[in-house]
Amino acid sequence: MLSVCPYFHVHQPYRVKQYRVFDIGNDTEYFNDSGLSDLNNRKIIEKVADKSYRPMNHLLHQMLEDHPEFRFALSFSGTVLDQFEQYAPDVLASFQSLVATGRVEVLADTYHHSLSFFYSIPEFERQVAKHAKRVYDLFGYTPAVFRNTELSYRNDLAKWCEDHGYIGIMAEGWDPILGWRSPNHLYRPVGCARIKALLKNYKLSDDIAFRFGNRAWESHPLSAETFADWIFKHHGDASTINLFMDYETFGEHQWEDTGIFDFMAALPDKLLAHPDTTFKTPTETVKAYEVVGEIDVPDVLTWADTDRDLTAWTGNDIQKDALSRTYAMESDVINTGDDSLTETWRKLTTSDHFYYMCTKWSADGDVHAYFSPYQSPYDAYVAFMNALSDLQLRVSHALQQKSVQEELLKAETEAIEKPVPKANEPAYGFWKRIVYFVSTKVKYIIGSLKVHFYKKYANQKTSHQKSSQKDS
Amino acid sequence: MKVLTFGWDFPPQTTGGLGIACQGLTREIAQEGVEVIFVLPKSQIVAGTQRFIFADSSKSIKIHEVFSSLVPYGTERTMVDVFDRITGRRLYSRKLMEEVREYANKAAKIAEEEDFDLIHAHDWTAYLAGVAAKVVSGKKLIIHVHATTFDQAASDNIDPEIFNIELEGFSQADQIIAVSHYTKKMLVEKHKVPAGKISVVHNGCDTEDPPCYEPTLQNLKQQGKKIVLYHGRITVQKGVDYFVRAARIVVDHDPNVVFVISGKGDMEAQIMQQVASQGLSDHVIFAGALWYEERDRMYQSADLVVMPSVSEPFGLVPLEALQNGSPSLISKQSGVAEVISHVLKVDFWDVEEMANKILATLRYPVMQQQLVNEGKRELQKLSWREAARKVLQVYERVMQFMHQEVC
Repeated sequence: MLSVCPYFHVHQPYRVKQYRVFDIGNDTEYFNDSGLSDLNNRKIIEKVADKSYRPMNHLLHQMLEDHPEFRFALSFSGTVLDQFEQYAPDVLASFQSLVATGRVEVLADTYHHSLSFFYSIPEFERQVAKHAKRVYDLFGYTPAVFRNTELSYRNDLAKWCEDHGYIGIMAEGWDPILGWRSPNHLYRPVGCARIKALLKNYKLSDDIAFRFGNRAWESHPLSAETFADWIFKHHGDASTINLFMDYETFGEHQWEDTGIFDFMAALPDKLLAHPDTTFKTPTETVKAYEVVGEIDVPDVLTWADTDRDLTAWTGNDIQKDALSRTYAMESDVINTGDDSLTETWRKLTTSDHFYYMCTKWSADGDVHAYFSPYQSPYDAYVAFMNALSDLQLRVSHALQQKSVQEELLKAETEAIEKPVPKANEPAYGFWKRIVYFVSTKVKYIIGSLKVHFYKKYANQKTSHQKSSQKDS
Repeated sequence: MKVLTFGWDFPPQTTGGLGIACQGLTREIAQEGVEVIFVLPKSQIVAGTQRFIFADSSKSIKIHEVFSSLVPYGTERTMVDVFDRITGRRLYSRKLMEEVREYANKAAKIAEEEDFDLIHAHDWTAYLAGVAAKVVSGKKLIIHVHATTFDQAASDNIDPEIFNIELEGFSQADQIIAVSHYTKKMLVEKHKVPAGKISVVHNGCDTEDPPCYEPTLQNLKQQGKKIVLYHGRITVQKGVDYFVRAARIVVDHDPNVVFVISGKGDMEAQIMQQVASQGLSDHVIFAGALWYEERDRMYQSADLVVMPSVSEPFGLVPLEALQNGSPSLISKQSGVAEVISHVLKVDFWDVEEMANKILATLRYPVMQQQLVNEGKRELQKLSWREAARKVLQVYERVMQFMHQEVC
């Protein structure tokens, strides 16, 4: 038995417009570019919806209808769901109806497609919880398998997922991690007891995601039949072929004229032609197979470029600066208790902002490998930092207001709770208080002395009386 | 291979970009084993034609001086003044035209006397000399375009006489070398030169760092002022007026910035006027023309160097700034923007964005530092040796054609 586990990641960030230094303090809309550039988020959603989301969802519906065995998984960032709701509600509805078939699994993720796990676990947990709630509200579904931003993975993340009840976690099936072993089995993350890792078969995945439309590629044009044959070769020594890729592969990265839609439409037929081949969702995969070994990933592993690490997001000084300044604001932002400010800050934690600041191309030699809507990584940094500076101002302003309000409130409650001073009590003033204090003490001492002497006197009196009674 | 090269000026006699480029290229071409005979219209009074060998460089570079009756310019005058006269007042440019033609006459004589395989003419002042040498010798001519009259006019309001010389040179040339794709595009669009005839060889720069100097403008720096530098000729081509307009916006947001304008040119009075009328007199310093150590010292003091050129065929300023450890903001209308990525770029006319990027650089020192660190690494790839190798490839291609024609 060999199963194929297709999984498509759906994400769009809120890109920061060309926000200038002079906008700081004057403009609180960082994401509302309305021009012709690729920073116009609405325009991008509408464009990608036409090129990719609408036609591919239509095709996926068709494939589910035609092949009862066909199933797959999706993951959504919260930022793309929000933008669908805002700019393309029909796309959101079509995703909902896909999930409603019961054969499409939705994965857990961070809401804001952030690298927060590596910078702040409390914030990571808040973003995961927010994501889970959103997925439940939209799809009536609680994810059981976790995937982190850019498929980033580390031993401690797997442990976190196990501790929080996930049964599976996704990662890149990278050779240096696996050694001679194959990505086509399940593995146990080191230090874990139950959770299973699903590893991406990057060769077969990238044949579709990256190489499909490349005319210089030796296998171009790739037919569904050939691709199915490549998968069949793994019969006997594999349990699952994990095909993980960006959803936007279909129609956006690989344009319609490459034949990508026809290829996908034909694929289930070709795969199911083999009697011992089927499709499984990640949860079904986890439940169907046992782990064959352990994987140990002490350093961050991602599905990005040739390094499979985080250097495309954190490799240079401006990226590190932007990231550290963003996360340095966390406690202040949370302390404001202001949902709108917090949400704006979280939109700035989206990993794409830092990716746009990548300058690795000078080393990798391939400018086009790093797509960015900005004209240069420095333009991306300047726009981001300016927006962040404005947010910092707003946050510190909100904190100030909050502390003023808190003090007012405190004063008010104190005024209410404190018993009204008696009319004969002296008013405030240090010396008056001292005098009042001393005089009350003196009065008290005198009073108690009086009582003492009175009692003594009374005792004497009664003893006198008693003795006189005895005497009498 | 022996190449008869025509130039107009050569360091240390001059300090303009053209002379520096000729020197860097020639030095490295000679290193590659090519014998270079460098011909110059000498600006000093030297009777007759003299020949001497460059003392500080390879023995194979011979410098020819052509006596020109209309020189001298006087010892202090440089290329800057020559070009200023062209772009500014036509009246004076006639004199230059006569010199250019005189240079061509002498070039023909030199070409008769010398033994060589190829002709290489740098910049429009030497095009006619190159053409004359070709007519006399029948050897192939390579024209090296460092600028066009469209750059200097910063518009289509060009000098028709220079344009004619350019057309003459380009049509006679067997191959044209442009210092950037930006310039190549201009030649194709404005001069209608077939694109196949033009090779692009970007200029290079010296890769070793200059010495570290005591910073200039110490007092200002100690007061915590930030220094933004313009270095170059003050002419319409260089876009200094846009720089001043951006300065106004910057100062409105950060009064702690001082703008230094280093250079001279025919627009100087106009720029001073503009500075005064914008109320920027307290924020702009006119430093005059700075060269060598003084220039490097100023570069090293700057927090940011701005090259706001309206049209810049190449533009050495950001490379010189990097050598001195300062980041740059350059106009997109420049050739150097094609070869350096760790630099801030802006359309020269977008003064708001120019101001935004100046303010951002001063605000975010991490970016400032990265632009320098990464930029310096990039600089290593832009050596004159690399440029010379590409020129050599052009030489070889042209020689091949020649052999094919002979066969």
